[in-house]
Amino acid sequence: MDILVSSLFAGLLIGMVLAMMALGLTIIFGVMEIVNFAHGEFLMVGMYTGLLTAQATGMEPLLTLPVAAAAGFLLGIICYFGFIKFVIRGPMVAQLLGTFGLMIFLRNLALLFFGAEDRAIHQGILVGKSFDIGMGIIAPATKLAAAALSVIAFWVVWLVINRTKIGKALTATSLNAQGARYMGISTERMNALAWGIGGSTVTIAGALLVNFWSVNPFMGLLFTMIAFAIVALGGFGSVPGAFFAGLVVGVITEIPGIWDFLTYIFNFGWMADVPMTSLKYMWVYLAYFVIMIVRPRGLFGWKR
Amino acid sequence: MKKFFLLTLAVCLVAFWGMNVNPVMAGPKTIKIGVIYPLTGGAAAAGRELKAGAELAAKIANNVMAELDMDMAKNAGIKSMGGAKIKLIFKDHQANPTLGSDLAKKLILDDKVDGMLGCYHSSVTKTVSAVCEQYGVPMINGTSTSPALTKRGFKWFWRTTPHDKWFTKDLFELLKGLTQGKVKGVKAVPEKEISNLASACEKTEWGSHVSSIIKSLAKEYGFNLRKSLLYTAKSPDLSSEVRSLKAARPDVMLFASYTSDAILLVKTLKAQKAQPKIIWGQDAGFEKPEFRSNLRDSIVGILTRTVFLPKVAQIKEVAGQVNALYKGKTGNDLGGASARAFTGVQTWVHVLEKARSTQPADIQKAANAIRIPGDQLVVPWAGIQFTPSGDELGQNVLGSGLIGQYQMVDGKLVLEIIYPFDVATADMIFPFKWF
Repeated sequence: MDILVSSLFAGLLIGMVLAMMALGLTIIFGVMEIVNFAHGEFLMVGMYTGLLTAQATGMEPLLTLPVAAAAGFLLGIICYFGFIKFVIRGPMVAQLLGTFGLMIFLRNLALLFFGAEDRAIHQGILVGKSFDIGMGIIAPATKLAAAALSVIAFWVVWLVINRTKIGKALTATSLNAQGARYMGISTERMNALAWGIGGSTVTIAGALLVNFWSVNPFMGLLFTMIAFAIVALGGFGSVPGAFFAGLVVGVITEIPGIWDFLTYIFNFGWMADVPMTSLKYMWVYLAYFVIMIVRPRGLFGWKR
Repeated sequence: MKKFFLLTLAVCLVAFWGMNVNPVMAGPKTIKIGVIYPLTGGAAAAGRELKAGAELAAKIANNVMAELDMDMAKNAGIKSMGGAKIKLIFKDHQANPTLGSDLAKKLILDDKVDGMLGCYHSSVTKTVSAVCEQYGVPMINGTSTSPALTKRGFKWFWRTTPHDKWFTKDLFELLKGLTQGKVKGVKAVPEKEISNLASACEKTEWGSHVSSIIKSLAKEYGFNLRKSLLYTAKSPDLSSEVRSLKAARPDVMLFASYTSDAILLVKTLKAQKAQPKIIWGQDAGFEKPEFRSNLRDSIVGILTRTVFLPKVAQIKEVAGQVNALYKGKTGNDLGGASARAFTGVQTWVHVLEKARSTQPADIQKAANAIRIPGDQLVVPWAGIQFTPSGDELGQNVLGSGLIGQYQMVDGKLVLEIIYPFDVATADMIFPFKWF
């Protein structure tokens, strides 16, 4: 029973951070209908920003979030004005290949500056500490804090989009860009803002993740794929959708633990031999595949 | 005029003849060895160590270093080939078997290498050696330990390192020794206290083979393997794997991991408050300097199999001399990877010396007949001699392994030898304590 409860709990915790990571992708897609293949690389940039800021200033790693957010916002804006603005004039294929190129560029830039080896945070108030909550749940303090901060950041973004004028202008642009332009909204600025917010949310997720995962220049693609699965499941362009889908995907990555629980319950020899852990991300992609066939617009999606 | 013409012709002929017959007159040849290692990616740290070890060996081979007690240091270059120098051409396979085989083809066809060395990851060694076999290029492997590599009947492949079956057997001998009171500083442990095992191995060629060896040896030695899982070494998170291991409540946890995943595993085990009595790593990541520098005192008590420990330098003079040079170059002591990469290049030097040419057939003949005495080597082996026929073609039969344990001595983290029992350098810490 312990393994089931602890797996579900861990799945939900990590799901909250994954949701935060996917939020940027869904915002950018919602506003501009462009799929950002470099999303995982933005996350990598966030992780390096958090790590290097903490190491250079001796600051508590969790307090580097504003720096990561600012870096992500800037990166988003620079990418938009320097690159995306021109790419969106082209056909869909140009957009896909363009952001794919951006992915390769950022990855190699990181390789040039930071080298290929894994880096991780070793110091911090919460690093290495964990709480025994009971029921077999042992929660690492860094993951608990990251999940809580993700939820707060998610809520702030939701407020900005739904309760502020600027958020409404963003929504208007995503609903009907031409109409929004007629209403006097500068859609160009809104596009840039979407990239800025998208960039900062994912770099915040990165700065949270680096508290418990190590970073290297090649790690982006895995997260781009996970973010795609979350956005597809939640619905392209849907903010609440991204949150719930993040939780679902978090739990999906814990399927091996759930399988272990079933193995101990039923005690079948063959169940123990199934290599569930080596297939753990397969379930995420399988979920993506099923959603694409069964409900292409996702659980909460309104864009088709 | 006619006389002058004849004289010139004669001089030309003599010069031409001389060039053909005696290569020394044309200056020493350069022997190119292609070296394919993981220089970037998750195993980049290991790659750096391997490269430094191989470079040091090539430097010693190419120069006279009278202060070293090894034959290789006595001559500048390959003496039997007129002082031909060894040139290592490094390539980075990024732990990718397909990339490895492409690089091997490039080295063979474009760089025209005379031989190959590499590749650390057994999965990459597998594809690279297949390319070498196809082109008839000799390959010496110093650091890949999947037993399957020498079971393919390849005629152009020789492996100096002992393989995982031997290493894993050492571990089970240690566990058996624990129950019989043979381990230094530990009273006989009741069998039931260490009877439950769980293993987690990375899922490429190397790890999956270690996993199956653990399965078969656990059965043979009468242990109960309660959980055996494979995981992706590049995975950013291993908490579900660790939870799965923990749920099996094992007394002994066994791992086959590369560097970044080994660090992540130990961190996660600690965060999840796992409480095994023994943690054992199958070398690789568990022995890297990064493993120590990242985890520091939290690894006290962890066991790792290895082929080289700085302690060996105290027992073996030549190892101490080479270790001093290596430390001067890199700042670190020789480790299992660097010492074996060094030995790989050294084996190449001895084979070439015996072959007296770079013709593949001569190299093949020399490699099959070579016998390098143990006193020439930095690693604590009886020597190097390859099986020229039979089930394990090209395997060195004189190698052996060690099991070390991280201990704190005078505030410094050191690996003490625990197994073989007769060369143990310290009392074993048992059980492993984290909390």
